[in-house]
Amino acid sequence: MSGLTFRLKAPATERLDLSALNPANLATLASHEIARLKVGMGRDALTVGDAFDISGTCGDEITIEGAGATLDHIGDGLESGTIRVIGNVGAYAGRKMKGGKVEIRGNAGNYLASCMSGGLIHVAGNAGNNLGGILSGDRFGMIGGIVVVEGNVGARAGDKMRRGTVIVRGKTGPVAGSRMIGGTIWAEGGFGVEPGLMMRRGTLIGSGVERLLPTFVDCGNHDLVIVRILSRYLKATLGDLAPKPMPLFVRKIAGDMATIGKGEILLPAA
Amino acid sequence: MSSHHTKLAGKDINGVFVDDTFAEAFGMSGTGIIITADTMKWAKIAAVTATGFGTSVIGCGAECGLDRELSPDETPDGRPGVRILIFGFSPDALIGQVKNRIGQCVLTSPGSACFSGLDAPLRIGLGKAPRFFGDGFQTAKKLGNSRYWRVPVMDGEFVIEETTGVTTDAVGGGNMLIVGTDRAGLLETTEAAVEAIAKIDDVITPFPGGIVRSGSKVGTKYAGMFASTNDAFCPTLRGATKSELTAGTLAVLEIVIDGLTSARVAEAMRVGLKAVTDIGAKKGVTRITAGNYGGKLGQHHYHLKDLI
Repeated sequence: MSGLTFRLKAPATERLDLSALNPANLATLASHEIARLKVGMGRDALTVGDAFDISGTCGDEITIEGAGATLDHIGDGLESGTIRVIGNVGAYAGRKMKGGKVEIRGNAGNYLASCMSGGLIHVAGNAGNNLGGILSGDRFGMIGGIVVVEGNVGARAGDKMRRGTVIVRGKTGPVAGSRMIGGTIWAEGGFGVEPGLMMRRGTLIGSGVERLLPTFVDCGNHDLVIVRILSRYLKATLGDLAPKPMPLFVRKIAGDMATIGKGEILLPAA
Repeated sequence: MSSHHTKLAGKDINGVFVDDTFAEAFGMSGTGIIITADTMKWAKIAAVTATGFGTSVIGCGAECGLDRELSPDETPDGRPGVRILIFGFSPDALIGQVKNRIGQCVLTSPGSACFSGLDAPLRIGLGKAPRFFGDGFQTAKKLGNSRYWRVPVMDGEFVIEETTGVTTDAVGGGNMLIVGTDRAGLLETTEAAVEAIAKIDDVITPFPGGIVRSGSKVGTKYAGMFASTNDAFCPTLRGATKSELTAGTLAVLEIVIDGLTSARVAEAMRVGLKAVTDIGAKKGVTRITAGNYGGKLGQHHYHLKDLI
C-alpha cells in the first residue's frame, strides 16, 4: 500500500483541522512542507509535524492512525484518492467532499458528510448528529455521494439534504430527514421519532419507525419499481456494503403534508 | 430502393448468384431505449407498440425496431426487458419521435418502465416530456449519473430515466435484394436471413417482419411524390420495362438494415448473406443483389463480394 501514514503522537488536547491532509494536496508538497502545514486552530497553531509521526511516500491514499474525536475536517473538500482513518474522528469529516473515499474505522462526530456532493464515506462505527446536514450559510445539506454508517447515527441526519444516499446499518436518531429536499436515507435498523419533519421531497427507507409525525399520511402497500432500481444501483455501486434489498411490497407513507408532501417514508408492508 | 447495376459480374455461392454490386446506406442518428415490464410478454407489447409505424424515415419520421431481449440481470430494475432502437435524420429529429412514441406507447402500457439504452455523451430527453403527465405529482430520484422520474399512474408508478444517449455514427439503409423463382421458398429464405440478422446486436430490420416487398426507386412520373415502385425489379413488368430480372424470376424481397455503427451493419449483412446462400438454392433463390444509387448519395457502401 503506497501512501503517507500520519500517526498521532499523543491524544490531541485541542481540536485539530485536518482538511489539509488530502492525497492530491500532499502530492504537490515536499515532506518538510507537509510537516509545516498548520492543523491547530489556536493562536499558536500546531503543525502536522507537531502532532503526527509521518511515514511512507506520497500516493493516492493516506492513512491517519490513532485518531480521536478532536480531529475535525478529515476529508474536507476531498476530490479524489482515499483517506483511511484508524480510530475515531471529530466533526465535519467529509464536509464538502466531491469525490474519492473516506474510510473511518471508528466513530464519526457531528456533521459527517455535511454538504458532500460526491464520493463515498464509510464509517465502521457510529456517527453523530446532523449527518449530511448544513451549517450557517450553506444552502443545502448533502447534495450527492454515498455515506454508509455501520452503526447508529444521531439526530437530524439528512437535514436539508438534496441528493445522494445515506445508508445506516443501525438506527437513526430523532427527526432524520428533517427539511429534506431530495435524496435517500436507508436505515436498516429503522428510524427514531418523527422522521421527515418538514421534508419536501426525498425518500426515507427503513425497517420501522418509532413514532410518525401526524402530518404524514398512509398511501398503502405497493410494489415500487424505484425501490428495485435503488437496490440494484446500490448493489452495483457498493457491493457488500449495500443494504439488504427491501421486500417486494413496501408501505408508502407520504409527507410532510405541512409542506408540499412529496417526500415518502417506505417501510416493509404491514 | 433503386438498384443500378454497374457490372453484370458476380460469383456463384452454393448455387446462388451474388452480384458484384454494393448496398448504399446513409449516415443517420440513432438511439437505444430499454423497456421493462413485469413479464417479457408485456415488455415486448410495449416495445412492439412503440416501434410500430417505424419502417421508413421518409414516411414515418423514424425507423424503429426491437434490437434484443434483455434478461432481468441486464436491466436497471431487474425485470425482463427489451432494447429498442430508433433511427432518424438527426438528434433533433429523434426528440419528437422519442417523446411521442414513449409517451403514447410505453407510458400507457401496463407495468412498464423505460431506461436509457445507449451510453453516449450526446443525450436527448426520454422522460423529460412524459414526466409532465404526472401533473405535479411526479418526483425524481437521482442515482449516480442517472435521474429517474416517477410518474403516478393507475397501476402504480411509471418510472422513466430522464435522458438517453444518441449517436450520430448510425447507419440506415444497409440492404440486400433476394431474387427467387418460388415465392414461398423465397419468403422462407428471407425470413431465415432476418432471423440471423436479429442475433446481431445494435441493428434492426425496420420493415414488416424485417422484409420489404415494395422496393422503391427515387423519382416518379407524378408530381408531389418522391419515390415509386422499383419497376426494374417488378417481375410482372419483366417484358414491359427495362428489367433487371431474368426469365423465371417470380419475386424479389428486400431486407433493410439500420445499425448504431457501420461495422454492425456490415456484420448483419454478412450473416444475412450467409443465411441466404446456405439454404437459398434449395428454396428457389437464384440471386442476391443490393440497392444503390450509383454510390453518389450514401456515405456507406457495402460491397457484397467483401461480405461473402
